[in-house]
This record gives sequence, structure tokens and C-alpha cells, in this order.
Amino acid sequence: MLLTNIKNIFIGAYSICQGFRVTFKNMFKKQVTLNYPVVKKSMTDRFRGMVDLYPEKCVICYQCNKICPTAALELEHKVLEDNKTKKIVKFVFNGELCCFCGLCQEVCPTNAIFLNKMYEVSYFAHKDLLEINLMVHDKYKHVDGGIEPPLYHKEGDGGVEGGVK
Amino acid sequence: MITILLKGAAALGFISLSAMFLIWLERKVSAWIQNRMGPMMTGFQGTLQPVADTIKLLLKEDIVPTGVDFFSWWLAPFFVTVPVVMAFLVIPFSRNIFVLDLNVGVLYICSITSVCVLGIFMAGWGSNNKYSLLGGMRSAAQIISYEVPLLLSVLLVVMQSGSMSMQGIIQAQAHGWFILKPHLALAFLIYFISATAEVNRVPFDIPEAESELVAGYHTEYSGMKFAMFFVAEYTNMFIISAIATTLFFGGWQGPFLPGVVWFLLKSYGLVFFLMWMRWTLPRVRMDQMMSFAWKVLTPIALLNLLVSGWFMVK
Repeated sequence: MLLTNIKNIFIGAYSICQGFRVTFKNMFKKQVTLNYPVVKKSMTDRFRGMVDLYPEKCVICYQCNKICPTAALELEHKVLEDNKTKKIVKFVFNGELCCFCGLCQEVCPTNAIFLNKMYEVSYFAHKDLLEINLMVHDKYKHVDGGIEPPLYHKEGDGGVEGGVK
Repeated sequence: MITILLKGAAALGFISLSAMFLIWLERKVSAWIQNRMGPMMTGFQGTLQPVADTIKLLLKEDIVPTGVDFFSWWLAPFFVTVPVVMAFLVIPFSRNIFVLDLNVGVLYICSITSVCVLGIFMAGWGSNNKYSLLGGMRSAAQIISYEVPLLLSVLLVVMQSGSMSMQGIIQAQAHGWFILKPHLALAFLIYFISATAEVNRVPFDIPEAESELVAGYHTEYSGMKFAMFFVAEYTNMFIISAIATTLFFGGWQGPFLPGVVWFLLKSYGLVFFLMWMRWTLPRVRMDQMMSFAWKVLTPIALLNLLVSGWFMVK
């Protein structure tokens, strides 16, 4: 009886020491978390973030607009005087409606529209989220999700160049 | 008179600085142990985080909850903080840096820090809240129970050194720290466990157990009143480590470095150990804790006192 008690005391003391050893070892291990706003984790290739666009690749086929289940994309165009060149007048993405299904990316024949890897999808004002202009290259400038911005954009008369010449 | 005032001001400055440093250290140590980073944004490695917290607490509205017993609720933070400040009267930082060297220093510090329990109980009672009341009751029971083994272990040091003044006890350790003597090592163990319970630290933090009582006795406090509880808690940690340093680790004595540095190194080392312990051990149950104080620590302390006393007179 007494011997078991003494044995138990020693086992208890040993296990406490073992606990201290474990925590002490962990003190010098590499941290598993990131210093978040400064260092950001890059997402995997298949991550679906915000809808993004290369305006110069767009052929204005309206497929993304039609397939979008929540009607989050709003596209308008005009035909120039030579009856050949189309120009985008308005290409607006409603971040509130988007369900990140990625159908627009799948259906796009030229891979112009795509879902980037940006995961910081909150905005300072509600109205900024409702009308995100996809034609400007710095549309997601309020945060930096480590995404590649579209290469360039040209502003012509009332619209941005792109599509069929 | 002026020197005493200056020393008091210096002590107050040291208390606030040390509390800030300890809050930062606590957050960092917890982060390191859990493989996290801890506060990083304000200042280098988040060193300015406690400053930001203090400013936030200063600017907060002083909310008086409906139904509190206003007088005791209002007075409680002072009852917790003032003894903590008063304890700095006798803490010897080095051969020359101390406010007063009372000839009953140990008795003074043990009695003055016991006043804290009054404030904690007043806070628990005055808040008119079941969690606060439970926390206050538990804290009162715990602190009063653990006072017994704590004082019995301190008594052994007093017997060994033959002095109750802090400087006298340090002088008695000139030829070897008390921790190196086996019976005093046991006394240190008992002292440290009891002191951990005295300041409501893990594994004896049941008065403010987050998972059962929201925050214990300071649930209803906000703003600067909460800050006072917080400062008192962290300064209490420093005080028990400083007493342990003085009584068992030779105080400011040490080679090469000046006395203050040695004293602070030893004290903050013990504080670090307390933090390390917090993030290692789980909380004990109320009945386990009480039976541990009365059935284990007190008999061992008494027996230790008896046997070493017998050897001393022989």
C-alpha cells in the first residue's frame, strides 16, 4: 500500500518533468503560424478566389455572362464604326453574388476570365464589393493576395481594347 | 522624506514597467510553447503591445454594472493593488538599492501580501454575479489554505539564518545559497508550490478558471479597474519570485555582474519558470487542491520544520 503510494508519487513527479521537457522542446521549434498581414500564404493552383480578367484576351462572347448561376457578371459592349472591332464598355463583377463556382473560368474560350488566388475578399464599404470593375488592373489593390495582375490595359474611347480585331 | 518619496516613485515606475514586460513575456512564452509567433505588429517583436493595451484600457469607459454593491466593488481593485505596491518596501534589489530594511521584513511581506485576498473577496462579493462570487470564495479558501505551508517553509529559512530582515537573510547566504541545503530545498519546493497557489497561477488558477468561471472575481470589471487587477496579478508573480530569490537563491549575490542584475536575472528566471509551468500543467480540481494543501504540503512542511529544527538544536 505504502509502496504503491510512493511509486505513484514518483511516477507523477516523472510525468510532470516529462511535460516540462515537451513544452521546453516546443519553445525552440519552428513556428507553424505565419506573421499574417506581413507574410501571406500562397494558395494552391486550384484555389478559387475572386473573379479576375485579362481584358486583352476577352473576345466578348458573353458565355461567362450566360453561364453564371447567380448573374454576378455584367458585360456590355459596343461595335466601332468599321463594324468589325468590338469594345467592352462595361465589365462589372458583383462580389456579393458570386458563389465561386468557377463556371465562367471553365467556359471561357480564351482563358480571359479566371478565378485568382486572392482570399481576402472583404471590403471597407459595401458598395465597393457590388461593382468591381474587371477592366482595371488594380481592382484588388486593397489587399495583396500574391496574385499576378493582368499584363496591361489600354483605354480607348469609352472602352478598353480587347477582343476581335 | 524626499528620498522616501523618490524611492516610492521609483518603485511605482518599476512596478508598471515590470508588469508590462511580464505581460509581453507571458504572451510570447505562450506563443513559443504553442509554436506560434505571439504579438508581432506593435514595435519590434510586439514589445509595444502592452503600451497599446494600457492606452486602450485607459480610454475605455468606466462601466458600473447594475446591481453591484458599489462601495466594495469600487474599493476592491485598490485593496488588491496597494498591498502589491507596499510589498516593494522591503524587496532588496541590491546591497544599496532598497527602500527600507525592516528588521521584520519577511513577516511584513508575508502579512502585507495576504491583504490581497480581502480585495479579491470584496471584488467577488461586490460584483453581485455568481461567477465572481464563486471565484472570490475559491480564491479566499485557496489563499488562506496555502498561506500555512508557505509560512512554515519561510519559517525554516528564518530559523536557518537567524534573521527576519531581507538583507540579513541574504548575508546569511554569503557562503552558499540556501537552496543547496537539502532541507531548505524541500522548503523551497513547498514555498514555490504554495506561492503559485497564492498568486492564482496555473495549475492553481481555479479562482479565475476561464472554462468554468468567466474570469472569476474580475468578470465585472473593465477599463482601468481591470488593469489594476492585471497589474496586481503580474506584480504578485514578480514579488513571489523576488522573495524566493531572496530567501533561497542568495538574493543579489553573484560573481562579476552587479547585484541588481543578478537579482533581476534570478527573479525573472523564476517568473519565466512560472510561465513555463502555466503552459505545461493542467488545472487541478478544487477538492484536489484543498486536500493537497492540508493533507500533503502542510504535514510535509511541519515535519520538515520539526526534523531540521531538531538537527539545529542538537
